[in-house]
Amino acid sequence: MRMDTVIMGGGLSGLTCGIALAKRGQRVTIVAGGQSTLMFNGGSMELLGNIDGQDVTNPLQAITTLPQNHPYSKIGANRIAEIADEAKQLLADAGINMAGDATANHWRITPMGIAKPAWLTLSENLRIDDLNQLPAKRVALMCIRGYFDQPNGMLAQGLRDLGFDVQAIEFTTDDITSLRRSPSEMRATSLAKHLVSNNALQRVADQINSLAGDADMVLLPSVLGQTDDNDIVTLQRLCNKPLRLVATLPPAVAGMRMQTLLRHYFKMLGGNYLTGDSAIGGNFEGDKLLNVTTAKLADMPLRANNFVLATGSFVSRGLAANYERVYEPVFDLDVDADADREKWTRFGVLEPQAYSRYGVATDDNLCCLKQGKTIGNLYAIGSILSGHDAIKMGDGTGVSMLTALAVARNILCGK
Amino acid sequence: MIIVGGGATGAGTARDCALRGLSVLLVERNDYSTGATGRNHGLMHSGARYAVTDGESASECISENMILRRIARHCVEETDGLFITLPEDDLQYQQTFVEACQRAGIRADVIDPAEARRIEPAVNPDLIGAVRVPDASIDPFRLTVANLLDARLHGAETLNYHEVEGLIINQQRVEGVKLLNKQDGSHVEVRGRVVVNAAGIWGQRIAQQAGVNISMFPARGALLIFGHRVNNMVINRCRRPANADILVPDDTVCVIGTTSDRIPIETVDDMRVTREEVDVLLKEGIKIAPSLATTRIIRAYAGVRPLVASDDDPSGRSISRGIVCLDHAKRDGLEGFITITGGKMMTYRLMGEIATNAVCAKLGNTAPCVTANQPLPGSEEGAPSQSDMTKRYSFGQRAAIGRHGSLAARIEKDNDIDNALVCECEGVTVGEIKYAVHQLHVHNLVNLRRRTRVGMGTCQGKLCSCRAASLMGEFRHDVKGAQEDLAAFLDERWKGMRPVAWGDTLREAQLTAAIYEGLCGLDKAVNLQGKEDVQ
Repeated sequence: MRMDTVIMGGGLSGLTCGIALAKRGQRVTIVAGGQSTLMFNGGSMELLGNIDGQDVTNPLQAITTLPQNHPYSKIGANRIAEIADEAKQLLADAGINMAGDATANHWRITPMGIAKPAWLTLSENLRIDDLNQLPAKRVALMCIRGYFDQPNGMLAQGLRDLGFDVQAIEFTTDDITSLRRSPSEMRATSLAKHLVSNNALQRVADQINSLAGDADMVLLPSVLGQTDDNDIVTLQRLCNKPLRLVATLPPAVAGMRMQTLLRHYFKMLGGNYLTGDSAIGGNFEGDKLLNVTTAKLADMPLRANNFVLATGSFVSRGLAANYERVYEPVFDLDVDADADREKWTRFGVLEPQAYSRYGVATDDNLCCLKQGKTIGNLYAIGSILSGHDAIKMGDGTGVSMLTALAVARNILCGK
Repeated sequence: MIIVGGGATGAGTARDCALRGLSVLLVERNDYSTGATGRNHGLMHSGARYAVTDGESASECISENMILRRIARHCVEETDGLFITLPEDDLQYQQTFVEACQRAGIRADVIDPAEARRIEPAVNPDLIGAVRVPDASIDPFRLTVANLLDARLHGAETLNYHEVEGLIINQQRVEGVKLLNKQDGSHVEVRGRVVVNAAGIWGQRIAQQAGVNISMFPARGALLIFGHRVNNMVINRCRRPANADILVPDDTVCVIGTTSDRIPIETVDDMRVTREEVDVLLKEGIKIAPSLATTRIIRAYAGVRPLVASDDDPSGRSISRGIVCLDHAKRDGLEGFITITGGKMMTYRLMGEIATNAVCAKLGNTAPCVTANQPLPGSEEGAPSQSDMTKRYSFGQRAAIGRHGSLAARIEKDNDIDNALVCECEGVTVGEIKYAVHQLHVHNLVNLRRRTRVGMGTCQGKLCSCRAASLMGEFRHDVKGAQEDLAAFLDERWKGMRPVAWGDTLREAQLTAAIYEGLCGLDKAVNLQGKEDVQ
């Protein structure tokens, strides 16, 4: 079966691109390896958070100052606003309700209680639009007894530093206590799986209602709603004070839910999602990629008119490095990376690291290059692209979604 | 009396002195076992390595080897070792080697290469000869802590993060030390009748502060840690000692080393591993166990051996690898000052005995040394050994018994929270962290790692370091400090990862950055600039 487009990688960028194409009637297959970096996403998207160590207040404006090799510059700074709106709408259509504005970053609260600039944040999460106007004065920080993936002390201190009046309150319920019998079971995902019945949620709400005192707002670690937000809505209804969630250490339930909802939406649009498989190579003819071979379908190459590489950075194995070089492991595409191993990294773990800007080389249409030659029907999107820095610039999720949508447009208009 | 240096030698000396009834203070400028003690293979030599070139060291090793199996069995894993001959080596050497081992009293059984492949499947299958010797694996961190614990149980005081700023000298007699408390910046003077310089390579500076010259020859050795344990026996090359010819299984990982380079004394604090060192270690390591070529390297580190020139050879050409004990009264006319140096981690107990004998001679103490017979805390009679543990222990409890021996009984485990795992790779529980913070002089995460192995496993502290930092902030009532500590811990890990940052190690680094910087924003909360390099 010949597809219109085959996408390699089923994370945020791959799914976004797949949805945009399927929505316009394309037959799309996504080859998805497994977990994506949404596992580390507490429920926010970043367009651009930081330039040269300075927090960005207006990302749309700041994007116009980026160098030419940044993926946003390749898309065209003047198109970013429109594509960002499309991304926000796509998320809403998938059932992911996020609030935010591309012209004004808000602040998300990290698991350590640190405020970081963000573009979109899940509506149930604690979000601060203006640091001088906090959404609540007194907050009750509900700490689940025996759950260590929320550094409660740091979170409470961080919130106090931001001006909240914080009361940290430890609680448990029978359901949670039974989970703790196994010493390694207290992860956000296992809590999310156990806190699903109305009775279990009622028991959590009872604790919150009896312990939260005179707080204006209740904060709970984000350990609910792995597949949809029904449990969160239910708990919010059962609590007699406003309830907001705070991101935890991985696994991040919120990010896993975003992944699930995007995948469901893609499938609903008729998309074909191959889980647990990955591209291992392909056949080229001239400046075209003819087909892609996957690990599980070694003798049945996937043919398509267009191909999209969305396999992520080193973390997701979209990029690889050995003793001698940085490379793209599926097609050995051209990469933008230093040849000298000494330059990949720097001493100082919190220093900007060169490797985080490495990625495959692309032309202005985000088409890949192999041995200096443009492959006209093979695009790259998301974290595998060079020229951006998810860690230091806070542009990872934005680049993933916006390059995905830009490439979908390129494919649809035959660029 | 005062001991300067909290490595194995200082700890062993403190224990011996305390057991002989002396009043002891040990001071260490960083954490315990931060010098050469914590920066070697973790190999409990049989002595075979030195048999051909240095018979005296070999005899010392085998004798101490047998003692440590008794007194420190909770720190020792009895793996045995192989000395293999590869096609590029001279098989004739094997005969010389075996004879030298026999002379030194080291059991050395020549075995068939096929038998070697059977008992150690990781070994290079091309080997043409193999000799089995009683090498073993030892945890130097645990060993040092056990010695310090016993010293304290017998009345000694020990202080980490106290640096010697100067010696108090009066009329050609050392009467004490001036200390800087590096945690709060305060200064204090402590007096004692004898000061023992057990500061390893840094002992040269301590001696200089006493106006005494000791010519040390720092020999730097770099090592690589691999992400899992490919071998179950120590594997050595059967040839004259050379670069990267020993592979040691340690707990869940294995270690190849070492290089050996003479370095200027001024550079002994720079522990950064170079690209050239990594290249040599990899090239040679793969010859010992070919599967290392495809095994993830999780860390590179280096240590400095304190080699000393013989006093009768000021040129430094005849450098001793053996134990050197200098009574500066006899050597330099300075009373109350003894230097114990040279030797190896392996012979720390004997060095402690020799130093203590010298101290006792000065003080007129005639109590005999008992450290060769009296088990260390954790290895007493009746302590559960790893082999007789049954199902009634959880993973965390078994791991804790492995680390702390009978002292694991002191770890709180009566409620579900204390049993909860913080570090899943190494099986470290909340109770064990509490125990370490309250009983084992833990001030920061790096200390905690040395005492419990938290963050030392395959994931290299990816998530457990945050959990542990958070808990320590709670136990120590210092949240801000916990964040800075976490960043410093990640930085310390990165120092070891950077020289080998490719493959999965680079992936792990990016993942760690995604979690701690991207998700958590730790880089916005702390500033590592200007922080001291060595923890």
